[in-house]
Amino acid sequence: MLTELSGLPFGATAIVREINTSAHDLNCMGLRIGKELKMITKQPIKGPVVVLIGELEIAMGLEIAGRIMVETGTDI
Amino acid sequence: MTGGKTEMAVLVPERGTTVLMIGNPNVGKSALFNRITGANAIVSNYPGTTVDFTSGTFIGGGRTYTIIDVPGTYSLDPRDAAEEVAVRMLRDYPDAVVMIVLDATKTDRGLYVALEVMERGMPCIVAVNMMDAAHEKKISLDIAALQRILGVPVVATTATSGEGVRDLADMLRKAKVADIGAIAQRMRGEEPEREPAFTCGGCGGCGGR
Repeated sequence: MLTELSGLPFGATAIVREINTSAHDLNCMGLRIGKELKMITKQPIKGPVVVLIGELEIAMGLEIAGRIMVETGTDI
Repeated sequence: MTGGKTEMAVLVPERGTTVLMIGNPNVGKSALFNRITGANAIVSNYPGTTVDFTSGTFIGGGRTYTIIDVPGTYSLDPRDAAEEVAVRMLRDYPDAVVMIVLDATKTDRGLYVALEVMERGMPCIVAVNMMDAAHEKKISLDIAALQRILGVPVVATTATSGEGVRDLADMLRKAKVADIGAIAQRMRGEEPEREPAFTCGGCGGCGGR
């Protein structure tokens, strides 16, 4: 199922499928299409989210996270 | 400055080859820089410690190198002042050798900026630093394979203990311009042309001969 990264619950894992914002900015940080990530921090009042990709922790604004589509529910 | 350093400057007046250390923030560029040059750049366990460049001198194999420790950058499309410094350094020293520093535990991220640097056609050498952290996390790296694919010298280092730093310094003179087309071919499993300098594809201990 394809959902926005911002909607991913805490602790859930998913695979990046679409990046509908500056892909370069996210790619150089290690967030690329096909990568598996895990939501590790969600801040209240529309605060930033932090995802874990392998050994990398990447923090981003909720708005950016809303433009990243991830696939959940697959066997990962 | 100590008396010894002043004397060295008198003996070796020429600046020699400039070496720019480029890599992601917090991969140990400054720690590696201190190991190579004996300098005392500030090192901490936080990204963004180096915001301006520091330079030092290293003399090895009869050559003088001016090593420049550049602030960490995720890409060559700068997004903050420290990254702008990195891009400006690359532009200001077009004849420099680039020492690309990777974090052994986060190589894929480091390779992004590494390939951007390689696209510029500058001679490169890659240091895969923080090997101790990789061992600790049970991450194994095929350094020889990385060297074969990139076609430039790749050396495993641990700046905190000094492991591999001498090899890295010795390999500086072997820095090569990477061929992006050939890298892409090798990634697809094709073999462009044999590189006689790297037929051993080994540990790099022999200097790649």
